[in-house]
Amino acid sequence: MIAQQLINALTLGSVYALFALGFTLVFGVLEVINLAHGAVFMAGAYAALLLVTKANLNIWVALPLAMLASGALGLLIDQIVLKPLRGRRAHHLMPMIATIGAATLITNAAQGIFGAETSRFPLGTIPEESFQIGTIRITELQIAIVIISFLLMLLLMVILKKTRLGKAVRAVAENPQTSYLLGINVEGVFRLVSFTAAALGGGAGVLIGLSFNAIFPFMGQPLMPKGIAVIILGGMGDVRGAMVGGLFLGVAEVMSVAYLSSDYRDAVAFGLLFLILLVRPSGLFGRVLERKA
Amino acid sequence: MTDDLQVFWATYNTLVYTVGVHAMLALSIYLTLSCGLLSLGNAAFMGIGAYTAALATLRLGLPFGEALALGGLLPGLVALVIGIPTLRLSGVYLAMATLGFGEVVRVVFLNLEITGGSMGLNGIPMKTQLWHIVAILVVLVYGFVRLRRSKIGRAFEAIKEDETAAKAMGINTTSYKLLAFVLGAIIAGVAGGLNAHFTFFVSPREYGFDPAVDILTGAIFGGTGSFVGPMVGSAILAILPELLRFLKAFRLAVNGLILILVVIYLPNGIWDRKLFARLRRKGSA
Amino acid sequence: MKKVIIGALCGLVAAFAVATTAPAAEIKLGVAAALTGPVAKYGVPIRNGFTLASEEVNAKGGVNGNKLVLVIEDEQAKKEEAINVFKKLIFQDKVFAIFGPTLSNSAFAADPIANQAKVVVFATSNTVNGITDMGPWVFRNSIMEADVLPVTVREAVKKFGIKKVAVLYGNDDAFTKGGYDVFKVVLETQKIPVTNTETFAKGDVDFRAQLTKIKAQNPDAIVCSALAEEAANIILQARNLGITTPFVGGNGFNSAKLFEIAKAAADNTIIGGPWAAESVSARNKAFVAAYTKKYGAEPDQFAAQAYDALYIVAEALKAVKLSGNLEKDRQSLRDALPSVKIEGATGPFTFRKAPAKAGVETGYDAQQDAHIFIAKGGKFVLMK
Repeated sequence: MIAQQLINALTLGSVYALFALGFTLVFGVLEVINLAHGAVFMAGAYAALLLVTKANLNIWVALPLAMLASGALGLLIDQIVLKPLRGRRAHHLMPMIATIGAATLITNAAQGIFGAETSRFPLGTIPEESFQIGTIRITELQIAIVIISFLLMLLLMVILKKTRLGKAVRAVAENPQTSYLLGINVEGVFRLVSFTAAALGGGAGVLIGLSFNAIFPFMGQPLMPKGIAVIILGGMGDVRGAMVGGLFLGVAEVMSVAYLSSDYRDAVAFGLLFLILLVRPSGLFGRVLERKA
Repeated sequence: MTDDLQVFWATYNTLVYTVGVHAMLALSIYLTLSCGLLSLGNAAFMGIGAYTAALATLRLGLPFGEALALGGLLPGLVALVIGIPTLRLSGVYLAMATLGFGEVVRVVFLNLEITGGSMGLNGIPMKTQLWHIVAILVVLVYGFVRLRRSKIGRAFEAIKEDETAAKAMGINTTSYKLLAFVLGAIIAGVAGGLNAHFTFFVSPREYGFDPAVDILTGAIFGGTGSFVGPMVGSAILAILPELLRFLKAFRLAVNGLILILVVIYLPNGIWDRKLFARLRRKGSA
Repeated sequence: MKKVIIGALCGLVAAFAVATTAPAAEIKLGVAAALTGPVAKYGVPIRNGFTLASEEVNAKGGVNGNKLVLVIEDEQAKKEEAINVFKKLIFQDKVFAIFGPTLSNSAFAADPIANQAKVVVFATSNTVNGITDMGPWVFRNSIMEADVLPVTVREAVKKFGIKKVAVLYGNDDAFTKGGYDVFKVVLETQKIPVTNTETFAKGDVDFRAQLTKIKAQNPDAIVCSALAEEAANIILQARNLGITTPFVGGNGFNSAKLFEIAKAAADNTIIGGPWAAESVSARNKAFVAAYTKKYGAEPDQFAAQAYDALYIVAEALKAVKLSGNLEKDRQSLRDALPSVKIEGATGPFTFRKAPAKAGVETGYDAQQDAHIFIAKGGKFVLMK
């Protein structure tokens, strides 16, 4: 049982990490807790669902298209909702409030368009049978989610660390004003990050929608507190931290079900997060940086 | 007209009560924000207050005043206990820690026998009256007016502006932060107790993540320049869904749209005194 | 500020009053349902059921020549909103009776309002204990799990030779927790050992940790109280983990959604209830056909119960002589309801007085026979 539970923890943790990657990117660079991330995540899932059911596309063609669509939505949110607030002396939580408005608008519009009920991808979109390795059972999709989330994390880390573009993004994350003086196209970086983060979020929506057969307008909502927990635990805007944070939450949840009580699962998971923050007040990989409330 | 007014009051008195309770919650989070603390624990404190007051009425048969007092006291004590280790955190890390605390509280409500699990507590008698809410709000507003010019108020202000500098000036930042946190919890607890006694019912899902964010949204939306802004903001957010009822299925979408528009055009919140001053100057010029 | 709001509201009210005034006598009935937000997936079919039934009644000339007019309001599954909606329906729209609200939790907040104002409140989806204890004006036709689950469990045990079971339920939802509470008592009284009891939370999509734990105990069946979407996912993940035991489901399983999502993996799931979409009565066939035609989706049990509830009230209204005095007419409707007998989509229906509680007069629960269904080839069929 322990082997199977470790696999369960790994796959659940990868799901959380996948959701959190784009979330943490926006948080790190734009310094906004983007509460519309769950709505973009949902939009990605619906986009792929439409492409598969209405346009009869293969899921692996639909996935990148859905990511493009949700990336565009993210860009739209940034340009319409967040850009007007940049450079104005607004309360630093105002952008977050604006994203709540965007989330409310998008999810409820989606409910108006698609209805309130749960949909799933048609049978046979992907192979659903699980196979046995030793004492554990796993599906191809579960393996894919683990691999994809690790690959995306590595890819993002390499881009951020090794490329000119990545250096620009990091510079903007550190200090937008100085970056501007250094000749970096700060607005361009913001647009790029918004697009990429939303595309990642949308991709996560597709994979999670595929994996759990639960596509509905509010599908992003239960993931929001968990996503916030993961990115803050990992440390502000740290891609590696989001991965570790996601895995940690997955392990904490699965193990508290396995060895304690499923009744207290969320209390155990969030209680542990609480304790970790007391020991490491800036998260696992956080820069030691005082930011005011 | 008196007939119309009677119908209006019979229809909307709960809404008016709700607006009052939301104003209290807004003040409770404004208090912590004014000391530079971003807390997402206020919904949990409200929940502790609501359950305590409701149980005091249902199980102990205490008079309403005492039930409310307990509903303020227990959240205050809990805030004191968790505040001591937690308040060294700042910014989003504090928000995360208080969010975690809130989740733990919600799960405890779900699993305790005495709180009725997911069924919650029902049959709570109607005890809250308009004057209770008004009286408490008047007292609070008076307190906030006094606070602004007091030593404590100036200390809060200093900590919010720059905690390190405040410490260097000899301000005991830990005690002041703890004070703001505990007072915020007490106000939220009393608001919860009042709410429980005009809605007949409390359940754990009213005190989770979404309500915590809602309380913060009301305050920021209204503007945190003074204590008036949060009250105005939360009142508007409480009334808006009722005003938009005629939009049927689209009312929440429009609600979101209004939130975006206000944030874009009034980035300091609805109650922006600098903006008012500018408008006045423009008007007189 | 207040004046502005009063003004705006009066304006709105006036606008609606003009829009809805019609020549014939009208009987206004309120519907309070969760039409926006996460609970809308249950509220929308409920609204559809009421709308369909009222259109049918009006198309046949209404009740004693009077037209039924539904005043439908969204209560968002929030307690304050439910209270606001109830008050609006009672004091402003002056309805004869209110259907709803969608969740039991909201009912505990809003029903006392109706009971105090002496207006019938008729629940079609509140299943937990205690709803009809709130007062003599509270009625419901939602299935009582306490009536159904003992039969379900007994039949399942007989069918599969079950010796021990595992239990899985959603513990932060009154609907699924209420189902579990009944299961627990039933399993105790029928002396069926429980290997382990696991819970999940609303919004969960990954149930593998709980299922892995259940698998290790090797039960003969999994007794499960969950909503249809969750149930489907639980079944799929159980099969993926190599769990082949049948499921015994509560009220929430009874939905076409179960098969839409779980497909054939749901086979051998046993549920009980007065209704399933495949019930063969002519009344039900007509309902399912009309509903599917109008809304392009199959009805679930919530839609069926809402549909029947409207016919129950229409039947009671036949016996009411309208006096034009609202209070009197509300009282007459209340007095006529308990003796109503109809043949609905969910089968033969009568009310029964809820067991007396000390000091409080109780309302009325549904009295219906439960049938046991088993999933075969993507639908529920009557178990022989």
